[in-house]
Amino acid sequence: MITTEVTFDELSALMKQAAGITVDPEELKEAAESPFDTFGLDSLGLLGIVGELENRYGQPLPPDSERCRTPREFLNLVNSTLTAGA
Amino acid sequence: MSNRRSGRAAVTGIGVIAPNGMRTDAYWKSVREGLTVLDLIGREGCDHLPLRVAGEVRSFDPADLIEDRFLVQTDRFSHFAMAAAALALDDAGLGGEPAEPFSVGVVTAAGSGGGEFGQRELQKLWGKGSKFVGPYQSIAWFYAASTGQISIRSGLKGPCGVVASDEAGGLDCLAHASRAVRRGTDVMVVGAAEAPLAPYSMVCQLGYPELSTVDDPDRAYRPFTEQACGFVPAEGGALLVVEDEARARERGVPVRAVVAGHAATFTGASRWAESREGLARAIRGALDEAGCAPEEIDVVFADAMGVPEADRAEALAIADALGAHGTRVPVTAPKTGIGRAYCAAPVLDTVAAVLAMEHGQVPPTPNVFDTCHDLDLVTSRARPAELRTALVLSRGLMGSNAALVVRRGDDSAR
Amino acid sequence: MTRRVAVTGIGVVAPGGIGATAFWDLLAAGRTATRGITLFDPAGLRSRIAAECDFDPFAHGLDAELCQRADRYVQFALVAAGEALRDSGLDIEAGDPWRTAVCLGSAVGGTTRLEHDYVLVSEGGRRWDVDQEKAGPQLHTAFQPSTLASVVAERFGARGPVQTVSTGCTSGLDAVGYAFHTIAEGRAEVCIAGASDSPISPITMACFDAIKATSPNNDDPEHASRPFDAHRDGFVMGEGAAVLVLEEYEHARARGAEILCEISGYATYGNAYHMTGLTSEGLEMARAIDTTLDQARIDPTLIDYVNAHGSGTRQNDRHETAAVKRSLGAHAHETPMSSIKSMVGHSLGAIGAIEVVACVLALKHQVVPPTANYETPDPECDLDYVPRTARPRKLNHVLSVGSGFGGFQSAVLLSGPGGRTR
Repeated sequence: MITTEVTFDELSALMKQAAGITVDPEELKEAAESPFDTFGLDSLGLLGIVGELENRYGQPLPPDSERCRTPREFLNLVNSTLTAGA
Repeated sequence: MSNRRSGRAAVTGIGVIAPNGMRTDAYWKSVREGLTVLDLIGREGCDHLPLRVAGEVRSFDPADLIEDRFLVQTDRFSHFAMAAAALALDDAGLGGEPAEPFSVGVVTAAGSGGGEFGQRELQKLWGKGSKFVGPYQSIAWFYAASTGQISIRSGLKGPCGVVASDEAGGLDCLAHASRAVRRGTDVMVVGAAEAPLAPYSMVCQLGYPELSTVDDPDRAYRPFTEQACGFVPAEGGALLVVEDEARARERGVPVRAVVAGHAATFTGASRWAESREGLARAIRGALDEAGCAPEEIDVVFADAMGVPEADRAEALAIADALGAHGTRVPVTAPKTGIGRAYCAAPVLDTVAAVLAMEHGQVPPTPNVFDTCHDLDLVTSRARPAELRTALVLSRGLMGSNAALVVRRGDDSAR
Repeated sequence: MTRRVAVTGIGVVAPGGIGATAFWDLLAAGRTATRGITLFDPAGLRSRIAAECDFDPFAHGLDAELCQRADRYVQFALVAAGEALRDSGLDIEAGDPWRTAVCLGSAVGGTTRLEHDYVLVSEGGRRWDVDQEKAGPQLHTAFQPSTLASVVAERFGARGPVQTVSTGCTSGLDAVGYAFHTIAEGRAEVCIAGASDSPISPITMACFDAIKATSPNNDDPEHASRPFDAHRDGFVMGEGAAVLVLEEYEHARARGAEILCEISGYATYGNAYHMTGLTSEGLEMARAIDTTLDQARIDPTLIDYVNAHGSGTRQNDRHETAAVKRSLGAHAHETPMSSIKSMVGHSLGAIGAIEVVACVLALKHQVVPPTANYETPDPECDLDYVPRTARPRKLNHVLSVGSGFGGFQSAVLLSGPGGRTR
């Protein structure tokens, strides 16, 4: 059973780890509707984050997860998938 | 810029990340002093291997010079290359986005690729599973990574190329860039950087019969001597900015040197005796293209493989191509102080040649004190000399031979 | 100095067609050579399909010692170069070996052997401090990318400039381009030019899985490579080699060689945009096409066929369509443009050379090879992609274009033996 959601803190850490992008979690939360590219995150970076989450939680994310445009959209998709799959 | 062109390729910028010095000034100081930095390899996972001595770049913190988003997606060899390219562009007064992106190109030579990055991803694949391979493996391991990243980081859209080669490819890429300039590209960023000192990359090199496995840093790489026992590898490299000479003068930057002639031949992997003819022909070809008489060569930067048969072939090739002048011209091999950084080795030598001409000094050959060949090998300390034209030689483990003639720029040394 | 450059011989090792004749038969019939991977067990991968070569090196005259020494991709190149030299009738030893160059491309070189031996020395990915005792005796040649050109030069006796080019997926086009410059500018009379790759291995498949660049259509591999089709979903990995004998025009004429066609232009640029991403405008590829045509002094309206990169990824096919329209203008809509990757897959660095050889054969047969599997038009890809069936057409000037990771954008122009204008 997945009890914890992927948070903005976690996404911020993943952006640093997978794409070398430094964004303060609070800023990320405030700008959650801004496109990823405003933070400098490209498609490869988001693919890396998707792969890391899939490995971490041991279940696949939807095929087009890396096409999510904003942090909010991405976290909604990830968390609904992880909750449903649990 | 006007369309006036000289058709000559001028060196206007130099960036060095070498085992014996970050940046050009530090590199030249070490080279001139004959400093040797060969040492036992200290990188993780390497100390059990029979290859013990190399030239490591130790004082390099990539985070000081390269943005994190580039660091995560690239191997160490590209870190060196990106850092050196930025230094070279700054040196040439071409930092920042180019006004005409299509007029600035990039060409690098690469002989070992992103070995450390590749080993990490192979370990994920075979240790944990294919889903653990990250998205950057597809762009970090391959030989084209450095050219691509330099182009992207600096916004350079001109002709971009990669010569994946043995050592001689370092000279080939300089020729490649010079020809691009002659064909009409304003500026080329050119050179090589290598990072072959990861554990698996080192295991891959153990098969070279020419590799020195002597574990005393002072004795491991001594070409042209009775004690020659092979070469030691190195990492790091150099990038240069090459541009049309007339254009350089028009924008008022010093012309540090002119790439005047190049030629390359092939005589087979490890067939060192045959490299004599191949190297001699390459030298003649380079002199021809430069319109240069043998007597005009003021200094030779030798390939200096460190294998007796190869050293003999090189000494004879110099004599064959330069005649009597071949035994009189000063010959040097500063790479004995840092090791051979594969494709980057002759690029670092070319940089040393440019600096030697600027400073009027032939740098010495560290760790070599007496030669058993008929060469005027410069040892112990730098030798003052009026240097107008330098010849740089390189041979590769897979059989390529190349020669490059570099002329001094008309400007006095900076 | 600019001299004319003739093509006097071709050789190819392609999936579904080893040798120029078999290769052309496949293309002309619009058959696909894509299938489930057999070279290793692909279980667990997202994309488990590829275009493989049914290649027996011994059947092509390579001996056991050489095969032990040379990796699969080097073997491909040796066989293709042997065919090309026979086709050209050239005797290197009798000519001038020092004026005979070699210029071969490869994107990933000895990766397959590097991976094979890695598994041994790392005990299956368990050790960072790998055990050198378990390494194979030829590992250093896999590590060294110049092995490709070196082994070919050695076998056929070339002693001029020998180069290996590695510009990702434009390696093959760029190798032909560098060779073109080498001859045009007088550094050699002859150049053995081409490219080879054998990338169908776990690490290479896994790294393209990780960026979802390859097709996951594992249930229908024969129809998985769908360039320009609205339902395309990535490229299908391939392998192979192609080699051309390029020769200074008068040199070829003087020895009475049959001139198959000429290489009449080449250019390459970087997009300085993204290592894998492409813009939707195609500005840099258009620039490569424009420069190539300028060099040859050929008006864009004289282009009779565009051999596309056409990898079958969403972004590539859109990018390329935009680039060709930008360069050829209205003429783009009247120019057939096809992708043979629909049939032979995408062999990374090799494919550019395989495509150039396809262009030589198209000129010879005066037939445009088709884009197999093309069914459903995509509004963003609105050119004539020669769906499924080869098409006879008068061909004189043929353009081959490519894009590579790293941002490389290259174009090569081929002109029929009679029609070169200067």
